[in-house]
Amino acid sequence: MSAEMLARLLAEKRVIVVCGAGGVGKTTTSASLALAAARAGRRVLVITIDPSKRLAQTLGVSPHDPEPGALPEERQRAVGIAAPGNLSAWMLDPQAVSDRTVRRMSKDAASADLLLQNRIYRNVAAMVAGMQEYTAVEALHGFIRDDHYDLVILDTPPSRNALRFLDAPSRATAFLDRRVLRLFVPGSENRLRQAATKVFEGLLDLAFGSEARKELQQFFTLFEQILLYLNRNQGEMKEFFAGSDVTFLLVSSPKAEALDEAFYFEAKTRELSLPLAGYILNRSRAWAADRPFPSESELPEDASDTVRRAVEKLAAFAAPEAESAAEHEQLRTDLAARAGAGFAVALPELPAGASDLESLVELAELMQPA
Amino acid sequence: MDFLSRRIHLVTGKGGVGRTTVAAALASAAASHGKRVLLTEIGDPEGGYSAIGRKFGREHLTPDPVPLGPPGLLGCHVWATRGHELFAHSVIPAGPLIRAALRSKALSKFVTAVPSLYELGVFFHLLKLLQATRTDGSLEHEVVVADMPATGQTLALTSLPEILLDALPDGPIPRYMREGQAFLNDPAKGVAWVVTLPELLPVTEALELVEGLRATHVEAAGVILNRFPEDPFEADERKELGALLAERPMHGALTFQQIGAARTAEAELRAGADVPVFELPELADAAPDAPPPELCRQLAAWMEAE
Repeated sequence: MSAEMLARLLAEKRVIVVCGAGGVGKTTTSASLALAAARAGRRVLVITIDPSKRLAQTLGVSPHDPEPGALPEERQRAVGIAAPGNLSAWMLDPQAVSDRTVRRMSKDAASADLLLQNRIYRNVAAMVAGMQEYTAVEALHGFIRDDHYDLVILDTPPSRNALRFLDAPSRATAFLDRRVLRLFVPGSENRLRQAATKVFEGLLDLAFGSEARKELQQFFTLFEQILLYLNRNQGEMKEFFAGSDVTFLLVSSPKAEALDEAFYFEAKTRELSLPLAGYILNRSRAWAADRPFPSESELPEDASDTVRRAVEKLAAFAAPEAESAAEHEQLRTDLAARAGAGFAVALPELPAGASDLESLVELAELMQPA
Repeated sequence: MDFLSRRIHLVTGKGGVGRTTVAAALASAAASHGKRVLLTEIGDPEGGYSAIGRKFGREHLTPDPVPLGPPGLLGCHVWATRGHELFAHSVIPAGPLIRAALRSKALSKFVTAVPSLYELGVFFHLLKLLQATRTDGSLEHEVVVADMPATGQTLALTSLPEILLDALPDGPIPRYMREGQAFLNDPAKGVAWVVTLPELLPVTEALELVEGLRATHVEAAGVILNRFPEDPFEADERKELGALLAERPMHGALTFQQIGAARTAEAELRAGADVPVFELPELADAAPDAPPPELCRQLAAWMEAE
């Protein structure tokens, strides 16, 4: 039942945002979701920020591509994708994305140049809160609006801040409280404020040297424009992400820490009124709950002594494994209940590390009920 | 080369690989060799419980070192805010106006907003702990074991000196950055330990982290392959059982596959790593609130072997 619901999402939605803790196989899951939808005939783009090199190789894309790229055709055919289905991937390069945002959002070319050359910006642009995520989302919005793809799957970064693209600009501007900024950025008419600015400048000169202080001031002056731009656009983005074309999936492993993160995201999606479709319980044993125990009756008649010995040894692992499989199945049911009208699908841990195309196909098949 | 002569050990690796346990065991092992050891964890005034503290039956740690229990072992939090205070005191003359400005909300907001200033605070606090001396001039903490946060944050910290030397070339910061580099960028004084699990993706990431650290001029002393499963099967049993389980999946098969995957991951790690690889066993029953004694013994043995 749950698998059918997932298949329907893959067939109908325009955007699927995949969230979860680090190390739960989020990127792999996103890639196999994309693969499943492409096999079902949709034109799919999977956007991921900072994937492992291995997965990038598997998908045949480079982390430095300026634009999304389709998988080579023979690879697509090999994994069962046929026209009109198509699979593209895009690995965002944070620095390039950041630079492009600056170019686009600065008030003119001259101030964009100044900011791009600013020593502070050059060294820290990638760390500026929310910029990458926001840019990814804006690009995604454009792809859907211009109908380049039927479905875009966004693999969010493995951090608690993954949803910050939705509220980042307001938080960033709160950080850079304009009253605070004005203390550092000269030009005020107010005498008292001018005096305060002098004191702060003095402090910053002592701590960083006056050259660097000037660069800091320049950085804040220029960056403020960008924050204002982000602020203006975030209303439209929020509306789009709360709409019926979009859905959110939470990926978790059965580990307690991963579940805590997933529940955090669940609360966050509710707080932001985002449509949560359900859970993917990854790397679980739930799907193996119905297996038999190793015993004489499971052995073929002509079983060798070696295999008999091995099966005897295997028995030591069987009980704890059956127990955890039952626990995971219970967990899956609980997650489905948590998701309300949603679902929870359990996916196996693939021994190969699930980054080659065959493993992705294996996962994709589990998402596509026959 | 002697592990115990290194002043600072950065223990790093992504979340969930047992990094804190390894850091605690490493510090305990060094202390058991008679060193004055400080075990640190990055924290902040509002942060919840201390993961390091819990290994020694304490709920919280402070930015000032306190005894953790084992002889010679102290523990403390590293706070960016403490680093900022120490930094301010070292570069800014005290005066009423200055003191008021330092306490102001405006400045603290500014400090949070400027990227890299957080790392600067952490860096500075760690540096001061490394440089602390006793009244007789000897080192307060002979060995510092730092439980480092997730890999991205670790690299943000180890790349800080280069970034700031470029971004803030004048003023007092470059001097402190160079003092920090003297510890971190000299393998005889500072090394990193990369903790990972015997699975393919974590192993790939560990190899990338070794390279990433090297790009910031920090040398990894080794990769610690944590929770390596015990393998009861002989080669021929493995082969035949694998074939049988492919036909007839049964309970126990997942664990069997995991053992195989761990071996594959280990082989990949050994082939790809140009630093030593250390294996630690899976210790399922280890008490959560103490570093497992076996782990300490194992690490102590490596230290002696060096």
